[in-house]
Amino acid sequence: MTDSRSARVWSLVAAQAARHGGPVSAADACVAAVAAVDVTGAWLIAARGAEPGHLMRVTDKASELLAELQVTLGEGPGRDAAASGGPVLASDLDETEAVRRWPAFAPAAREAGAAAIFAFPLQLGAIRTGVMSLYRVRSGPLSAFQLGDALIFADTATLLLLDAQGHPARAAGSARAGPGGQPANLTRHRAEIDQATGMLTEQLGVGIAEAFIRLRAYAYAHDRGLSDLARDIVARRLRLPSDPDPRKDAQA
Amino acid sequence: MDGKLLSDTFVELTDTMVVGFDVIDFMHMLTNRSVQLLDVSAAGLLLADPRGELRVVAASSEAARLLELFQIQNDEGPCLECFRSGQPVQVADLTALAHRWPQFAPAAGRAGFRAVQALPMRLREQVIGALNLFRTAPGTFDTADIRVGQALADVATISLLQERNMRHSDTLNEQLQTALNSRVIIEQAKGKLAERLGVDMDQAFSLLRESARTSNRRLSDLAQAFVDGTDALAGLNPAGAQPRPAAPRPPRRPGS
Repeated sequence: MTDSRSARVWSLVAAQAARHGGPVSAADACVAAVAAVDVTGAWLIAARGAEPGHLMRVTDKASELLAELQVTLGEGPGRDAAASGGPVLASDLDETEAVRRWPAFAPAAREAGAAAIFAFPLQLGAIRTGVMSLYRVRSGPLSAFQLGDALIFADTATLLLLDAQGHPARAAGSARAGPGGQPANLTRHRAEIDQATGMLTEQLGVGIAEAFIRLRAYAYAHDRGLSDLARDIVARRLRLPSDPDPRKDAQA
Repeated sequence: MDGKLLSDTFVELTDTMVVGFDVIDFMHMLTNRSVQLLDVSAAGLLLADPRGELRVVAASSEAARLLELFQIQNDEGPCLECFRSGQPVQVADLTALAHRWPQFAPAAGRAGFRAVQALPMRLREQVIGALNLFRTAPGTFDTADIRVGQALADVATISLLQERNMRHSDTLNEQLQTALNSRVIIEQAKGKLAERLGVDMDQAFSLLRESARTSNRRLSDLAQAFVDGTDALAGLNPAGAQPRPAAPRPPRRPGS
């Protein structure tokens, strides 16, 4: 069920990229989420390591304004999502709880036209790559189905941002992802993949995001499933070379 | 059932929910206490991800974790039926029900389990997961055990609503996602620590929990700091292991 669901999300993101003819990027996930999740607009902030995030995409004037407001006022659902590591679902900005939480931002966002904001951290455990925020002109929570889709769009954006980090020159050219041609399903993520990623930080002396990028690149280059490869690393049957030649996996 | 252990457990559970609360650590403790309190040999806890799949968030042993995972992967088993129906499912003898779960029953047998009791985690009309108890000997489960087991499952449900206002479905979903991501951070930290100290994953997990306890920090915060390299956990040094120093790195916190 989930596999077909993430495949559907992926095809929507790829279709969005085809519209402008460029490579698939996280910005396409942000744009495609608007129609699929039935929200008014969206914005995406890409952040890498300790660098301050940059506004990668806005889908309309109001979302640009909302993104600016959070920076200017220093508060808002997106900032909280980045800090807490969990989504922030503010389904009614007029509610006292929202106003108490964001005394300056909540009224300003209402003024800008948003009645509800849903912010999703783009993360995979300790790997954090930014925040995707969705807004609506009417209040009310996302349905369970819309929430599930929004999370899968966020997962897709996370992988695309990591792909772009791993291969800046090609900027995720083919939107290459997992060996299956689409990003690995993060829901199907196994504990072994996370453990192997943690082990690679030590083996390769790199950060956690880079470790995950190397793991995926190796799986792709050697045409192996990510879980399968991770199991070998966790069982200490395999160590990845510490200095991979990026051209090598480009040919694979 | 040991009455003192039961009361101690509830005191411990409520204590944990007051300060330094960490959902994953809490659920892990719940599965361990289930095994100590009830006449069962293993316990596992599943939560529903809004993406449309169940996920294993805690298990008292690796065998229980793998068996839960097996049910999810093969889409059959008593724990899944319990989650889908919202009703408890008891299987006194798995070998007698091999026809009902042609894949799960033999897998459970190979793992050494003969009886299962699955208890739903419910919040009003919504089923959010299941607590599953496994036993190595066949036979019906004691009624008192089932009641206490259900109480533990209910406490696990309530723990997800901690810290925030309970009115919102928003709150539950926020907490659930945060918990699921914490699980990932902890696995990443286990991998890093296991590699650094040359220990296995279970030992790495114990060391992380111990360290969180000693320093009075939330397990997931400690795990995040360790993975980010902002905390080398220099105190963790099991006998014989020679940790290499971590390269200091700035925290990863995207601005917004």
